[in-house]
Amino acid sequence: MEETRYNYGRRSFSLQLQDGLRHSAARRGRTIAGALLYYFVLLSLSFVFMYPLLYMVSKSLMQSWDVADATVRWIPKSFDLANYRIAFAEMNYWQGFANSVITSFGSAALQIVSCSLIGYGFARYRFPGYGLWLALLIFTFLVPPQTIVVPLYMFFSSLGWINTHLPFVVPAAFGHGLQGALFVLIFIQFYRRLPGVLEEAARIDGAGHLRTYWQIMFPLARPAMLVVFLFSSVWHWNDNFQPSTYLQLPPFYNLAQRMSGFYGKASMASEQMSQSISAGAIGMAPTLLNQIMAGVILSILPILLLYLFVQRYFVESVERSGIAGE
Amino acid sequence: MRGRHILEGYSFIGLWIVGFFLFMAVPLGRSLYYSFQELKTSRDGLIADYVGSLHYRAAFTVDVQFLPLLRDTMLAMLRHVPLVLVFAMICALLLNRHAAGRMLFRGIFFLPVIIASGTILKKLLEQGAAQLPIFMQYDLYSKLRLFIPPDLLMTLLAYSDSLTLVMWDSGVQILIFLAGLQTISPQLYEAATCDGATKWESFWKITFPMILPMIFVNTLFTMVNSFTKADNGVMNHLRTVVFSNNNYGYGSALGWIYFIVIFLLLGLVFALFRKHLASMEGRG
Repeated sequence: MEETRYNYGRRSFSLQLQDGLRHSAARRGRTIAGALLYYFVLLSLSFVFMYPLLYMVSKSLMQSWDVADATVRWIPKSFDLANYRIAFAEMNYWQGFANSVITSFGSAALQIVSCSLIGYGFARYRFPGYGLWLALLIFTFLVPPQTIVVPLYMFFSSLGWINTHLPFVVPAAFGHGLQGALFVLIFIQFYRRLPGVLEEAARIDGAGHLRTYWQIMFPLARPAMLVVFLFSSVWHWNDNFQPSTYLQLPPFYNLAQRMSGFYGKASMASEQMSQSISAGAIGMAPTLLNQIMAGVILSILPILLLYLFVQRYFVESVERSGIAGE
Repeated sequence: MRGRHILEGYSFIGLWIVGFFLFMAVPLGRSLYYSFQELKTSRDGLIADYVGSLHYRAAFTVDVQFLPLLRDTMLAMLRHVPLVLVFAMICALLLNRHAAGRMLFRGIFFLPVIIASGTILKKLLEQGAAQLPIFMQYDLYSKLRLFIPPDLLMTLLAYSDSLTLVMWDSGVQILIFLAGLQTISPQLYEAATCDGATKWESFWKITFPMILPMIFVNTLFTMVNSFTKADNGVMNHLRTVVFSNNNYGYGSALGWIYFIVIFLLLGLVFALFRKHLASMEGRG
């Protein structure tokens, strides 16, 4: 280190200039190569992320003749939504859709209101027992829902809540439910960053504590709300564990459960088919697989659309929401 | 004044405390109680019979499935967590650069958050849709067998298969890292460049220490996630015991053993990170 600095100082000015010019040319070359490499890596990763979705869409649009045709790899010869029609009818789509919407969007909306209130309390107040409750909050985050599912099931069934949406919605209203503790932590982190001047101003103007929160602070938390809403609704939508515990009769099934049921039925049927024509069939019977893929697409289509719609705001607000935790 | 302050604080978190007792503390206590009982369903509800630590002993001695499942889950977790963390970190660093189109790429990189949770992922894996075509399509195995010993090759290919899983599991982690990277002031990097630090050095001297809290959060999140995932063997075993065999007492005992193991592991992580995080807090 010492030696190089010494050498550099001793070099003549022209030599340094030459050196610098050569360096800048080399650097420009390097940045172009770097940018190319950068986009190559990004694009290939994007492809990997998109691959399952592309695979599903492509498979779900194929009919039996496309599957049999060796020249068809990605794009089917004709466009036909037959698989979707079958999956749609088989899953009784609108009923499942309504159930999913109530459990996931209802819970998500309630979790925004409750978790934000609780997060604000933790972020802005110090009171006796503060450390204890915060520790218990983190503890709640770590307890797997499966550990307490049996007593919870008995509790809800003693209240007559089985086959209703209440086991999802009521815990959410108390800031619990699916990943409730995580959402409280997100809001704590967000409110901690807001300057305290805002509240002081509101107090001086005579607003009470709850009013200060509700009228000044809560509306400011929009970035955190968006993140929590998207996570909560998506996780509720895709969750299979709680619905399969609390929703036990087919009319109350949500989309994820219906998709699972349809999947099971279709793969069983295709197994029977492949046994009867074993010689000709390779793996799963083609059209049934394609119907399954159509069913999977249908079951996630609503949240995919939601994501497309809020994606821009979501990506922006993640940066401002302080989701980065403790 | 102080009394009022307490009241105000509790008026905000009171809701959570009520919920905590209703949906967490009481069920947790009851499941601990059940784990020492034999529960039988009858017409007037459940009848509990005290059996002591029978269920706990049965889990370690009688149940042939439980211990291997537990071991597999732990091993899978140990392999999975570092891979997810490294991959998520690389993605976050890539997405954090100010390049054209990064919003679009971010949108794509967070796609797994939307589709790769719960049942969908499980079905996709069963269908092979989550596996990359490169490893199977081009007959990589038979081509590479000439150069690499088959045992090593098989493990390598198995890893690259699980790599897709890693990518699909790291959506939220990328998000957290990215949000963390955004909080680092660019002036720090400028100062480091002026002092002659290379990119590599400034990553280890600036980015890494600054982002350590997020690494901690991500480690916890990934661990909790991998313990409760839909394709987790222990979880499926638990569900069979409880809902197919209606063996509530034994199910509760299994749940508690699993929970204690998880908690010990998480405690270990806490202890590992505590020293570093404490020094961080002194600064921030």
